[in-house]
Amino acid sequence: MMRVLNICVIGALVLAAADVYTIKFESTRQAQRVAKLRLEIRRERDAVAALRAEWAKLDNPARIQALARRHLQLGPVEARQVDPLDNLPERPADLVAVEEADPIATVIANPGVLDRPAAGNLPAAAR
Amino acid sequence: MMAMHEPVANRPAPARDPWRRRLVASLLYGRNVDRAAKTRGRIALAVFIFALGYAVIAARLVMFAAAPDGHGSRRAIAQDAVATARPDILDRNGEILATDVRTPSLFAEPHRIIDVDEASELLTAVMPDIDAAELRGRLASKRRFVWLKREITPEQRAQIHRLGIPGIGFLPENKRIYPNGAEVSHLLGHVNIDNQGTAGIEKWLDARGLADLHLAGLATDRLQTPVELAVDLRVQHALRDELIAARAKFKAVAAAAVLTDVRTGEIVSMVSEPDYDPNNPREALDPTRINRLTTGVYEMGSTFKALTLAMALDSGKITLKSAFDASHPLQYGKFAIHDFHAQNRVLTVPEIFTYSSNIGTARMALSLGIEHHKWFLRKMGQLERLRTELPESAEPLVPKRWAELNTVTIAFGHGLSVAPLQAVMAISALMNGGHLIPPTFLKRSESEARSLATQVIKPETSEKMRYLMRLNVEKGTATKADVKGYYVGGKTGTADKVVGGRYSKTKVLTSFTAVLPADQPRYLLLIMLDEPQATPDTHGFTTSGWNAVPVGGAVIARIAPLLGLEPRFELPPADKLILASAGSR
Repeated sequence: MMRVLNICVIGALVLAAADVYTIKFESTRQAQRVAKLRLEIRRERDAVAALRAEWAKLDNPARIQALARRHLQLGPVEARQVDPLDNLPERPADLVAVEEADPIATVIANPGVLDRPAAGNLPAAAR
Repeated sequence: MMAMHEPVANRPAPARDPWRRRLVASLLYGRNVDRAAKTRGRIALAVFIFALGYAVIAARLVMFAAAPDGHGSRRAIAQDAVATARPDILDRNGEILATDVRTPSLFAEPHRIIDVDEASELLTAVMPDIDAAELRGRLASKRRFVWLKREITPEQRAQIHRLGIPGIGFLPENKRIYPNGAEVSHLLGHVNIDNQGTAGIEKWLDARGLADLHLAGLATDRLQTPVELAVDLRVQHALRDELIAARAKFKAVAAAAVLTDVRTGEIVSMVSEPDYDPNNPREALDPTRINRLTTGVYEMGSTFKALTLAMALDSGKITLKSAFDASHPLQYGKFAIHDFHAQNRVLTVPEIFTYSSNIGTARMALSLGIEHHKWFLRKMGQLERLRTELPESAEPLVPKRWAELNTVTIAFGHGLSVAPLQAVMAISALMNGGHLIPPTFLKRSESEARSLATQVIKPETSEKMRYLMRLNVEKGTATKADVKGYYVGGKTGTADKVVGGRYSKTKVLTSFTAVLPADQPRYLLLIMLDEPQATPDTHGFTTSGWNAVPVGGAVIARIAPLLGLEPRFELPPADKLILASAGSR
C-alpha cells in the first residue's frame, strides 16, 4: 500500500517538475522576445527622431527660401493678393442641368447655351 | 574511539572512570546529567536548523523563479544615462526647433588593450582628425575607462567595429540637434557635451527639474513631453532675414527685433543680430553676439515718449486738446533741451507725439511731478529687472537720485536704460487696453494671460494711445512704415549713444515700435538698429525714420500674411476710426 502511494507521489513529482520546467522555459522565451521587441522599438524611435531632425533641417525656411529664389518665379505674398471669401462672386449658372446624363452631347445639340453666361457673372478679376 | 565505548559499557559503574575524566566531565556538563538525553536534544536542534536552511534555500529558489529578470534591463539603462535625453522643443506650429539624435561615442578600457601601438595606429587611420599622441596616451593610461571620441559618425562606427580591436567599445549617446541652425539661437540657448542646458530655454528646462531627473538617471527615455514655445519659425526666419539685410544696408553694429502678441504676452519672434549657431555653442562666447533684447539695457529714446504721454493722459489732468509751449528750448540749469524737428510754437498733445517734441514731453512730465512719474514707471515695470523664462536678464539702470532733471530726460527716453523687452511689455500694455502682461516664451492662452495681467491704465487711455500711434504713421515720423492694408501704428525713437561718458552726436540707437492693426491691436513689433550709418538713400540722416522705420515696414509687409492678419483696405483715418469710438463711450 505504502509502496503504491510512494510511486504515485514520485510520479506526480516528476510530472509537476516537468510542467514547471516547461512553463519557466516558455516564460524565458517570452521575456527574451519582449526585450528584443523593446530594443527594436527603441531603435525605430531613434530612427524616427533622426529622420524628423533631417526633415526639419531640409524644411528650414532659409533653405526653402534659397531654393525658391533659384528655381521659382514666386515672391512673398502681398496684402493686395489676399481677399476675404465674402468678395467671391456668385457661381455662374450651369450651362446644362446637373442631372443631365450626357452634358457634352446636350451642349453640342444646343450650341446656344454657350453664349448665355453674362459678363456680370464673371469673377471681378476676369473682367 | 575505544575510550568512548568503554564508559557506555561500564555505565553501571561510572565511578570507575579515571578521576581526571570525571573531573573534566563534571566541569563540562555538571554532575548528575543524563548525557544521552542531551545528545538527543542536540540532534533534534541540528535537524531543525538544517531543515530551516533548506527551507530558506527553497523559498529563494521559488522567488528567483517567480520574479522577473530585472537585472539586465537595469544595466542597459545605466549605459544609456551617459548623455541624457532632453525633451524636444517645438515652435507654435509644431516645427522642431531642437531634438535629440542618438549618436555612438567611442570609449576604451585600457587594461584590456593588448597592443597599444597597433590600436592607436588603426584608430587614427579611421579618424584622421584625432590627435594621435593624445590618443596613444589615453590608451596607455592606467584608468579603467576613457572616452576616445564623443559623437562619431555611423560610418566611423562601422569601420572601427570591423577593425575588431579588443578593449574598444561604443556607447550610444544623445546629441542635441538644432535643425534650424542660427535662426532661433538666443531664444533656445544651447547645451554642453553632456546634454545639459547652459543658456536660453535649454537652461530653463534644466532649472525646471530636468537636471534632477538627470541625476536620478530617469530622464533617459525620449518619451518626455515636448516643450511648445510661442515662437513661430516662419516669422522668425522672415524677421531675421530682413534684419540681416537691414544690418548690412545700414552697416549697423547690431540689429534686433521682437514681435509679441499684445493679448497674451507671447513672444512670437525674437532676433538679435549678430547671433550664433547653437550647434556650435563656442560662438556664443563672443560678447558681440549677446542677446540685446534681454541682456542689454538701452536708453530707448523717443519710444519712451509713449509712456510719458500715456501717463499724462491717464492722470486725467491732460487731454488730447491740452497744449504745451515748445517755442523755445527748455533751459534746465546748464542744460538746454532742444527738439530735433523743432516747430518753435505751442504744440497740442498729438502734435507733441507726431513731431516727437522733447520739450513738450518734458514739460508734460514736469507738470505731473517727479513722484507721479516714478510711480507710473514703477507700475509699468520699467524700474525693476524683468524676468522671463530666459535665464539671461539685465537690471535697468535707474538714476540713484531722481531729481527734476531726471524726470525731464527720462520723459523723452534718456537717463533710464531698460532692456528692450521691458519697454515692449509696457507699450503692449498701452495698446491692449491697459493690461500689463509679463512676456513669455511659452505658449499661453488669452484667458491665462488675463489672469496674470494687471490693469495699469484706463482702457480709454489705451484707445487714445492707439490713435496717437496711428496718427504718427499717417502724418508723423513713421510714415515710411504705413504698409497698406494692415493699419499700422508706430512710434520712432532715436537715442544718442553714450560714448566715454558723453552723448555722442554721431552714434545713435534707432528704434521703431509698431502696433498692428492699430484699431484692433494684435501684435507689437520692435525694431532696433545699433549705430546705423547714413546711406545715399537716407540723405545723410541716421534718425529712426530713415532706417528703423522702413525696415519695420518691410518686416510688417512680409510677416503680416504669415501671422494670418486679414488685410483691410479703405479704412478711415485714425481720428475717424479710433478716436470716434473712444469718444462714443
